[in-house]
Amino acid sequence: MNKVLIVQSLFGGIMMGAAYALLGIGFSLTWGVMKVIHISHATFGLLGAYLAYTLLQRFQIDPILSLALTVPLLFAVACLIYRFLIRPITRAREVIVSSMILTFGIAIILQNLILIVWSPDPRILNASYSGQVLVLGPLYFQYPRLIGFAMSVIGVLIITLFLKRTYTGKAVRAAWQSPDAAQMYGVNFGRISMLTFGIAVASAGAGGVGLAFLYSFDPNSHNLWLIYLFLVVILGGVGNVMGTFWAGQIIGLITGLAMAFLPYQWVNLITFGLLMIILLFRPQGLFRSEV
Amino acid sequence: MWQPVGLTLLLLGLFPWLNPPVYYISLLFTVFMYVTLATSWNLIGGYTGYLSFGHVAFFGLGAYTTAFLFNLLHLSPLLTILSSIPAGGAAALVAIIIGVPCLRLRGPYFAVITLCFAFVVELAVKNLSILGGADGLWLKSMDLPIEIARSILFEVMMVLMLIVVAASFLVGRSRFGAGLRAIKEDEEVAQTMAIDSARLKIGAFVLSALFTGAAGGIYAYYLAYIHPDIVFDINISILVVLMALFGGGGSWLGPVIGAVLLTLINEGLSTFVRAELARIIYGSLFIIVTIYMPNGIIDFFRKRR
Repeated sequence: MNKVLIVQSLFGGIMMGAAYALLGIGFSLTWGVMKVIHISHATFGLLGAYLAYTLLQRFQIDPILSLALTVPLLFAVACLIYRFLIRPITRAREVIVSSMILTFGIAIILQNLILIVWSPDPRILNASYSGQVLVLGPLYFQYPRLIGFAMSVIGVLIITLFLKRTYTGKAVRAAWQSPDAAQMYGVNFGRISMLTFGIAVASAGAGGVGLAFLYSFDPNSHNLWLIYLFLVVILGGVGNVMGTFWAGQIIGLITGLAMAFLPYQWVNLITFGLLMIILLFRPQGLFRSEV
Repeated sequence: MWQPVGLTLLLLGLFPWLNPPVYYISLLFTVFMYVTLATSWNLIGGYTGYLSFGHVAFFGLGAYTTAFLFNLLHLSPLLTILSSIPAGGAAALVAIIIGVPCLRLRGPYFAVITLCFAFVVELAVKNLSILGGADGLWLKSMDLPIEIARSILFEVMMVLMLIVVAASFLVGRSRFGAGLRAIKEDEEVAQTMAIDSARLKIGAFVLSALFTGAAGGIYAYYLAYIHPDIVFDINISILVVLMALFGGGGSWLGPVIGAVLLTLINEGLSTFVRAELARIIYGSLFIIVTIYMPNGIIDFFRKRR
């Protein structure tokens, strides 16, 4: 077995893991803070990727720069969805079940809108620097992948800093630890939930762009992304931001290793099998609970 | 009240022998199948509150067991009917193996692990050449005219549906069903009331898988060709969950109504508008139902009265 190939594959895995971490953090927060399992999370990530694609093809806006447009847009859309669709069900007794079905409906609608607008053909992000390669000894790294990786890491850092350093971020963490106590100390749970949902969906858009830098995507991609989201979020511990990031790295390394040795269809089998084993033996995740 | 129901069933049973267009036989067969699937899912998902998203795995296993046995043993046409028994049996066996560890998990964790289980089974079957792999399996057609074979399978599916609905009705009234409901309300409290929740859950799960597998077995005959993408299609799992919850998971009637309505709506929509638009309307339906009818449409109309 070629050693260079293995190392190359491991780096690929790490980059993939970072993108899934950025996509997964919002999923983890909505689950942890609001007890809402947001099935359409990955679909919003896919929408982010498609928006970046169109802005690049039509107006030659770099995918990173276009985030300045798409992130606020997704944030606004998410706030509306929260206000009119999610909030009515948060008082139900079985929030988790109803939220799964409701957001599954949103995922169906979004996926078919994407199909109508962008057709079923697979797409790739072809930025101006695509095709440029950084060579380090025997290893080589494509520029788009490096940029996607850097973007994902920075995105995770921004969200972490927001949660640790700002007053609003601390309110989100308080609401995650104990909604009742937080409310007694003057945290407006409804507003915090809306904010969490908005940030989650907006960061999903960025995560989708991160994944689009790595792989081609089509209107069905979000299904596989969703499985990886569950994997990363459960391994990292629900609501745990840094846990999600490290879980992304672990999954990335395992997938990278599997890709170096196995044909592609067995890689997914390993991923799903792994998720089952983790769920059976450590459903609370690998890491100590901490936002 | 039972006379119109009996009359309807009689008419439905006679229907395929009246030489109607194939489309309507096929539509009714699909309705029966989804009523069977939604009702069997409801035993674990609706009564017990354990949302399984992996039921398509049992459905597919049933289909593959039938196809495999049929090609291996060259059964005669009449024995075909019995083939749904090993199909259900195989699914039930797998349900015991997978259910014992998985049913310790609750809520979303159970939902996710069953979803994963469905993917793992599909990928495994796709990569096993003895089961036809990604080429699928052909079932030799019976030595009967196609209309008669189709009508026989129609009747078999209808009988299975009646058995499953009756079983669901009886379970709902029994001590077993009361135990399952107690688990749904509050599992800890149920356990302190000396309800052996682990055994009841396994019982409901295995019974549910048995019926689902049997339906898969009959479906394999009906199609005469099976492929992992068809019988392990994850959308079947999701559709079944939605049908049961759409109608109302707490009662035996809910999944029946939900399956009939959603199958007909789905069919009607895909006939009249383009597929993407049909699915958008379909998706909106889930949103409307969760917001305005959280306990299913049966409950919604019961309250109105």
